[in-house]
Amino acid sequence: MEVLSVSVDSIHSHKVWQETELSKMVEGGVPYPMLSDQGGKIGRLYGVYDEEAGVNVRGRFLIDPDGIIQAMEVLTPPVGRNDAELFRQIKAYQHQRATKEVIPAGWQPGDPTLTPTDKLAGRVWEIWKPRQE
Amino acid sequence: MTVFVGKPAPNFTAKAFHNGAFKTVKLEDYRGKWVVLCFYPGDFTYV
Repeated sequence: MEVLSVSVDSIHSHKVWQETELSKMVEGGVPYPMLSDQGGKIGRLYGVYDEEAGVNVRGRFLIDPDGIIQAMEVLTPPVGRNDAELFRQIKAYQHQRATKEVIPAGWQPGDPTLTPTDKLAGRVWEIWKPRQE
Repeated sequence: MTVFVGKPAPNFTAKAFHNGAFKTVKLEDYRGKWVVLCFYPGDFTYV
């Protein structure tokens, strides 16, 4: 799994941010490429560039090995993302791709998945129920 | 062009800072791998 971060800042800004702040949060700094999108060209392609503010909002896209977008999430600037749900989605899509099984709501790694055959229609309740918390 | 789930991710080329050096990143070079593409408003902001 590869991460690419993107903002409208210059690569020089990314360098200084990594060296002065991120490297104090994460040992050795963040390990992924920090992309510069000055002018918002990439953000516009993905529909996450805010023309008025001149920045990219918090868009996150999960792209599979064939270059297909499998999942996306977009948040406004004041709230940060939660990586636990991202990791769950990555594991679910990887499992689905490897097994062709389908993944029920709330699935966590290790939980059963479903084989999508016509016999299953109307009988999912026999093998799967939602978590009650 | 609109991005949508189940559709191809638009290709792009960008300048990047990675492992202490400046380089160029092309999305299509990541074919064959899972990629998480994360946009954020700006360096040095709080969240």
